[in-house]
Amino acid sequence: MINTRKKQTEFFELSKIRRRLVLIIILSLFFSLFSRAIYLQAMQKDFLQKEAEDRSDRKVLLHAYRGKIIDRNNNVFAVSTPIQEVTVNPSIFVASVKEKIKLVRLLSISRKDLERKIQKNKKKVYLNRQLSPEKAAQIMALKIPGIISNKKYKRFYPAKEVAAHLVGFTGIDGYGLEGIELYSNKLLAGDSGYKKILKTRSGRIVDDLQDIKIPRDGQDIQLSIDKRLQYTAYRALEKAVEKYAAISGSAILLDAKTGEILAMTNYPSYNPNSKGKPIDFRRNRVVTDTFEPGSTIKPISVSAALENKSIKPNNIIDTSAGYYKVGRSHVKDTRNYGKISVTEVIQKSSNIGAIIIGEKVESKYLWNILNNFGIGQKTGVSFPGEVGGKLRHYKNWRKTDHESATFGYGMSTSLIQLAHSYTVFANQGSIKEVSILKTKGPTLGRRVISRKTSDEMLSMLESVVKEGTAKHAKVNGYRVAGKTGTSKKLGADGKYESNYIGSFVGIAPVSSPKFVIAVMIDGPSIDSYYGGTVAGPVFSTLMAEALKIYSIPQDGLIESDELKREAKPDSII
Amino acid sequence: MRLNLILYFVLIFFAIATVNSEHQYRNNYSRLDIEYKATSELRDEKTKLEVEESDKSGNQRIQTIASEKLKMYVPNKKQVKVIK
Repeated sequence: MINTRKKQTEFFELSKIRRRLVLIIILSLFFSLFSRAIYLQAMQKDFLQKEAEDRSDRKVLLHAYRGKIIDRNNNVFAVSTPIQEVTVNPSIFVASVKEKIKLVRLLSISRKDLERKIQKNKKKVYLNRQLSPEKAAQIMALKIPGIISNKKYKRFYPAKEVAAHLVGFTGIDGYGLEGIELYSNKLLAGDSGYKKILKTRSGRIVDDLQDIKIPRDGQDIQLSIDKRLQYTAYRALEKAVEKYAAISGSAILLDAKTGEILAMTNYPSYNPNSKGKPIDFRRNRVVTDTFEPGSTIKPISVSAALENKSIKPNNIIDTSAGYYKVGRSHVKDTRNYGKISVTEVIQKSSNIGAIIIGEKVESKYLWNILNNFGIGQKTGVSFPGEVGGKLRHYKNWRKTDHESATFGYGMSTSLIQLAHSYTVFANQGSIKEVSILKTKGPTLGRRVISRKTSDEMLSMLESVVKEGTAKHAKVNGYRVAGKTGTSKKLGADGKYESNYIGSFVGIAPVSSPKFVIAVMIDGPSIDSYYGGTVAGPVFSTLMAEALKIYSIPQDGLIESDELKREAKPDSII
Repeated sequence: MRLNLILYFVLIFFAIATVNSEHQYRNNYSRLDIEYKATSELRDEKTKLEVEESDKSGNQRIQTIASEKLKMYVPNKKQVKVIK
C-alpha cells in the first residue's frame, strides 16, 4: 500500500525543465493577451469606437396590417397598399453623375432638388415618401451608398367620391379621421409588434436579437352597403343637384326587412385619395345634419289619429277655410282643397287637414307616437357624429307646438331618422334597427303602431305616388308608396327664408316592401323646389335600380280593391 | 467517485441539449421570419390584385364601355313588354 502511494507521488512530480516550460507557456499566453488588449485599446481605439457607435441594439416596430373596409359583396372600399419611402443619408452618399441621372428619373424629382437634399447636414432626408415598390427596387439595385428604402402602407379608396362620406379617410399616421375609418379605428388598426435587432448606421441589420412580439393584424369591416347602389345613388344625386342648382343633396337606402343601409351618399363629395380635402364637404350629412322635415311627418301624425281611432281613412276633413291660424302666422295649402278625405289629406299634402286631424289627438299621445317612430332621437347607427335632432317634450308644448308638429315643423330630424321611421310602414307597424354593418338576415322589430293602421297608411302613401304630389317618384312596373316634403329653411336670425329643402321618403314594392329610400335636396334654386319634383326622380332612379339588381318581382299590374274602397268618403267631420 | 462521474455525464448531456435547443430556436426563428416575409409579400400581391379588380369592375368604367363600345342603352317604356 505504502509502495503504491510513493509510486503515484513520483509519477505526478514534474521535472525542473518541464516546470519552467509550463511557466513560460502560461506567461507567453498572458503576454499575448495583454499585448492584444494594449493594441485594441491604444492602436485600434478610434476604429472600434466608430464600430460601436454604428451598431446599436434597436427595437424595430413590426407593422400590423390595417383591416380592409368592404361592401356586402366583398368589393373593396378601403385597403392598405404597399409603398416605399426612399431616404438618403447625405454624410455617406456617394454617386457618379450617371447614377444621379438614373436616380432623379426614378424618384421623379429634379436634379436641382436632389443636389439640394444631399447638401443637407442631416442623417435622414426624404427623397420620395410614396414611391411604387417597382421603382424603389430599381433604385436599390443601383447600390448607391446612403440610399435607404423602407416599406410603408398607404390607404387607398377605389370608390373615390362615391363612398367618401361613408368610409372616411386616415391621416398620415394611419389613424382614422372620418367615417368608418374613425369609428372602427381600433378594430381596423390591430396591434403592432416589435423585435430587437442589431443594426448598422447605414440601416443594415447585423443580427436579430430574438426578442419578438408578434403583431396582431386589424380586422376587416364588412359594411351593409351595396357598391352598385351606392354608385347609382351618387350619380342620381349629382344629376339632381346640378339640374336644380341646389346647395347639396343626400340619399339613404334601407333594406326594409333587415334595417341594413344599402346606400348612403351625399353630393358634393371629395376624393379621399387626394391630399386636399375640403372641410365643408367632409360631413356625412345623412347623419350629421338636421332639418325641419315638413310634410314627410304627416303620415306619422295622421297614423297617431288612426291608431287612436279618432279618425278613419274615409272620413271627410273640411279644409275649405283656406288657411289655419297657428300662433301669429297663417298656415295655408297650395290651393283650397275644400272637403277632402283623410287619404286625400295625405295625397295632396294638406297642411290644414293635417292640423285638423292632429287636433283630435292629445299632445302626450302625439309626442309618444313621434317618439316611438324615432323622431328627434339618434338611430344608434355605428357612425361618428350622429345627431339626435330635436323634439321637445310634450309638457313644454304650447298649442302652436302641437299644431306645428302635425305637419313637421317645430322639430328637427336627420335624413337617416326619417328613413328609419318609415320602416314602420314597410313592416306592418314595427320599426327596425338601422345597421351599417352586414347582418345575417331579417331582424326583429319593435312594434310602434298596429298592423291595421300601418296597412291603411301604406295605402294612403301609395295614392300620393299614384295621384298625388309624387308622380315623379313612380317606378315602372312597381307599386310605390311615399310622401313628399317641402320645408322652408330657418335663417341665421331664426326667421323662415325663401330657401327650401325638398325631400321624399318612399317604400317599394307596396305588396311586399323591400326598400325604404329617403332623399333630401338642400336649396334647389332653379325650376322647382318641391320635394316631389326635385327629390322624387332621385328616388325613382335609385329604387328602380335596387329592384332590378335584387330581382324583386313586379307588382305594378296588381290592382288594390282596398284603395278603391278607401277613396269613397262616407262621413264628414 | 461514481456519482461524480454520473453527474459529469448528466452535465455534458444537458450542455449538448441546451446547445441543440438554442440551435433549433435559431432555425425556427429564421423560418418564422421567412414565412412572415412571404405572407407579407403574398398579401401585398393580393391587395394589388384586389385594387386592380376594383378598378376594372368600377361602375363608371362598365357604364362607359357599355354605352360607348357595346352601344348598350336602357330600354324606354315603349320597348318594355311585361309577360303575364
